[in-house]
Amino acid sequence: MPEIKTQDFTAASTAAILDPKLRRALDRVAEGFHVARLDRIEEVTQDVWDGWKDQAREIKVHTIENLDYYLELLDKNVTAAGGQLHFAKDADEANEIVAHIVRTRNIKIVTKSKSMVSEELGLNPVLEALGVEVWETDLGEYIIQLAEETPSHLVAPALHKSKEDVAALFTEKLGIPYDEDIYHMAATARTILRDKFMEADLGISGANFVVAETGTLVIITNEGNGRLCTSAPRVHIGITGMEKVIPSMQDLSAFLRLLPRSATGQRITSYVSMTTGPRRSDDEDGPEEFHLILVDNGRSKMLADPALREALYCIRCGACLNICPVYSRIGGHAYGWVYPGPIGAVVSPMLVGLPKAKELPQASSLCGACREVCPVNIDIPKMLLDLRKKTAESPDSSLRSAPEIERVLARLYAKLMSSPKLLKMGVKFGRFAQKLERMTPVFSPLTTDGKWIRNAHIPILSRWTKSRDLPTLPKQTFHELWEKELSPDDS
Amino acid sequence: MPGTPKAEFLQSVREALGRENVPPIEAYPRLAETPSELEQQVAQMRQHIEDNLPALLDKLAKMAALGGWRVHRASRPEDVIEYIETLARDSGTANVVRSNQDVFNQIPLDATLTNLGLTVTTVLRDETTTRESLREEIRQSGIGITGADYALAETGSVIVLPRKGLARLISVVPPVHIALVRAEDLLETLDDLFLLRRLEYHQQGGEMGSYLNFITGPSRTADIEMTIVEGVHGPKEVHMIILG
Ligand code: SF4
Repeated sequence: MPEIKTQDFTAASTAAILDPKLRRALDRVAEGFHVARLDRIEEVTQDVWDGWKDQAREIKVHTIENLDYYLELLDKNVTAAGGQLHFAKDADEANEIVAHIVRTRNIKIVTKSKSMVSEELGLNPVLEALGVEVWETDLGEYIIQLAEETPSHLVAPALHKSKEDVAALFTEKLGIPYDEDIYHMAATARTILRDKFMEADLGISGANFVVAETGTLVIITNEGNGRLCTSAPRVHIGITGMEKVIPSMQDLSAFLRLLPRSATGQRITSYVSMTTGPRRSDDEDGPEEFHLILVDNGRSKMLADPALREALYCIRCGACLNICPVYSRIGGHAYGWVYPGPIGAVVSPMLVGLPKAKELPQASSLCGACREVCPVNIDIPKMLLDLRKKTAESPDSSLRSAPEIERVLARLYAKLMSSPKLLKMGVKFGRFAQKLERMTPVFSPLTTDGKWIRNAHIPILSRWTKSRDLPTLPKQTFHELWEKELSPDDS
Repeated sequence: MPGTPKAEFLQSVREALGRENVPPIEAYPRLAETPSELEQQVAQMRQHIEDNLPALLDKLAKMAALGGWRVHRASRPEDVIEYIETLARDSGTANVVRSNQDVFNQIPLDATLTNLGLTVTTVLRDETTTRESLREEIRQSGIGITGADYALAETGSVIVLPRKGLARLISVVPPVHIALVRAEDLLETLDDLFLLRRLEYHQQGGEMGSYLNFITGPSRTADIEMTIVEGVHGPKEVHMIILG
């Protein structure tokens, strides 16, 4: 698995938020994808859209609840089509299967089309260690491979790079003159990769869906690199998570309608490539061998937890990233592992282990925007809350994300808020303290204008108060108002 | 082969779900359909298309244009040939590759292209033409011409299936792709397509064919600063010619 940096979330996100270039890039994505997505929904009407979502969710619920059954059916049909299905319980096993194929088939050059799961497995270093040339062929993935970075978005992996960054990178790594024309840079990638597509012995792809009924692997791309990877080399390996299986080919309709619209705001992508087994004897081209590797790698932990199971319905559209007020300010890298954004804050802790990623569930304002945009109606805020609960209530103190003093305060706060009597006393005391504080205007450390407590460095509480403005206590609380003027007893 | 044996893997999934090794309690409706039920649905679907053909062809043209195809409608085979002649001349290419589908019997265009001085390669393997030499020819071609197994009005897509005489690479390697669509290739929705393919799958004893490819517009990327660039790995220019 690639390096896990989820522990550094606080520092990484604080640094990212101060990066103006990143902010510009993130705004561009929010604008582009989000607006186009809304246009597409308006075009088909909200009712139709909601109907598709319900349909897709129903398919996912049924499949995941019977996952073993559909995996078995898939295995039967992949085999019947002349392909081979492999099961890998973790990253090492999956990488070992690929390595075995590479060694026994004398593979020298590999072209890859975008696969988040292969990022999750850390496959490229394993292949390189075998002495194989590995080429990422999606333009965004190609850029980050050259830069030796990880993707920062599920759909647009290199969104954090400006055209100047890419031009400088191409100059450095490819030895070509600096040219920041985006069309020229895309053409450069086309020329270089075109040769590689034709020379490659092995094409590796991810899968957006795999169909149990027919043993079919489905990939959705815009560049055409996916089609080239799965058509030109003599061996094709598809690698994906075991949750990607769907029962029937006809179930694809709902997903093909939802995924491109949710991801990029397209009605459909330029290419949808569906592969069933290797080429048949009459086919003019296509791979001689077809392998499908399904990985667990921590997914069965999500499966076993009813509160988190629905994270496995995710179709990786990225819509929850584009809408998220946290993601859109810190970008993908701050999340410290392969899957960023709201869904990443659920999936990463489950895949790398909660102790290492206990900060991630906190990276949300719980505004609910992610739940609203999700094409399969995943309730992400609910899962984040569940993970927070798991960290807060863990008997193991290293698992808890808050220091002990905060926990004590939180308990006191809960006491205060659940007893009207205590609360009333608290308010009275607070007002008294406030009055005292206002009598010393020159020194008044908190309420500079008498109305707000701003940027206050209050000991113990400063984690909240230094970045949150609080109103001061009013002359009358709602409670008091109610008793005096609005209570039904008055009438 | 490394990896976890199937039985063990499935057992761990079952344990995670707390499930026994049994089929779903409620059978999945789609998978329970019999071939004759599928046939009935297909017949209805065909009838619907026949009854609405002109409107659906218009919809196809509209959606294809929105998807980035340059759409040309023709009423006679001669118009199609004439249009392709113009495209070929304007492209400045010396080589054209075409599939060997039966649409070319209806629209014979080789002579016209050869008269322009172009070399036309047809996908036809024999003693001298191997898969390797074919691939090289496709690579050298400036235009790839194919038929469409189906065209989808809902999405404006051309669908190609494995046929003898149709290479996967023709529609993706040359910088220009021309797809010939006839009225009889038309389907309305994604559901129509998948329903039909499922029926054929059953009729052919569980053979799906090695691929089913959608093409909708040119190859494109927005990976650098969200700027759309066409023709990144696949064709930059795609033409859909609708006959009928
Ligand atoms: S959680 Fe939903 S919105 Fe987010 S990537 Fe997954 S499917 Fe898309």
